[in-house]
Amino acid sequence: MQNDPLTFGQLLERHERELFAYALRLSGQRADAEDLYQDTFLAAFRAWPPPRRGNERAWLYKIATNRAIDRERRAKRIVANVDDLALAAPERDDVTLADLAGAIETLPAGQRAAFVLRKVQGLAYAEIAMALECSEEAARARVSEALRKVKAAVA
Amino acid sequence: MDVAMGEARERLLGRAKREGLTTIGYDVLASPLGPLWVAIGPKGVTTIHYGDEPSQSELRRLVRVYGPGVVPDHRRSSALARELDEYFRGRRHTFDIDVDLSGLTPFQTRVLSATAKIPFGAVSTYGTVARRAGNAKASRAAGGALNHNPIPIVVPCHRVVGANGALVGYAGGLDAKRKLLAIEGADVARRR
Repeated sequence: MQNDPLTFGQLLERHERELFAYALRLSGQRADAEDLYQDTFLAAFRAWPPPRRGNERAWLYKIATNRAIDRERRAKRIVANVDDLALAAPERDDVTLADLAGAIETLPAGQRAAFVLRKVQGLAYAEIAMALECSEEAARARVSEALRKVKAAVA
Repeated sequence: MDVAMGEARERLLGRAKREGLTTIGYDVLASPLGPLWVAIGPKGVTTIHYGDEPSQSELRRLVRVYGPGVVPDHRRSSALARELDEYFRGRRHTFDIDVDLSGLTPFQTRVLSATAKIPFGAVSTYGTVARRAGNAKASRAAGGALNHNPIPIVVPCHRVVGANGALVGYAGGLDAKRKLLAIEGADVARRR
């Protein structure tokens, strides 16, 4: 395991790429993703220090997820841009990205975050639980429910 | 780095700076001695580290003095980059940029200040530096302080050699020390 980050720069260099990708996948819009990425790291800098023993990754996802959900509640809409999503998710079989983007977009914010954290970002359930501030069982349940809905939508 | 990502980072760091959250800007510079990790704080250069990543102990010193706001910043390093480039090309004999030795012990600071006075092209010994730092018997301790010099090249610890003229040691490796002395045309046998 890496040492705990001592500086903003270390935190940024270690995690900014995946957080930027996560922001893109969550919001679907490049401009929104940039805002979310900036807001997440600024909030992390203000709240310094991060939790110890390598938990800073889940901490950043938690900040990003909460901000994305807040933003969505305020805006009441998230429109996925297929071009941006194409950068984020590999095209699979006969399901088009547009289908997938549409399906993900219809998920409630909490389920969408759980789905993206697990299926796109590849986080462990323990990390998802930390990021979403729920139990591991609840995290599994959210991912599984999201997966069921996405499968149904693209079937 | 992806262009959009880089632009987003610039804007993020701009916002962090305006909020007063950042204190030190760092960069990795290419040099004839390989990559150099350099950091600049409010009072001047704090660090030149051989390699593209600083040691954890160096970061701890920076954080102890200036807090965790140590962030990538290409613009801030440009004056140092220019002076180093001129030095490596043999066109600069003294550095004009300010150095910041905050966070070091008083003895380390005295040893490095004495070292900073050794002119381009000259060499001195650990014993002489120890004497100039106020403790003639502390040549071994002076060697230790020089080995942990946070700002090599600009604070020219490469100009300090053993009493017999042997190069002895250098944090950047003896090859680097040899190259620096060669750039300066220093005659190791001619000591001050």
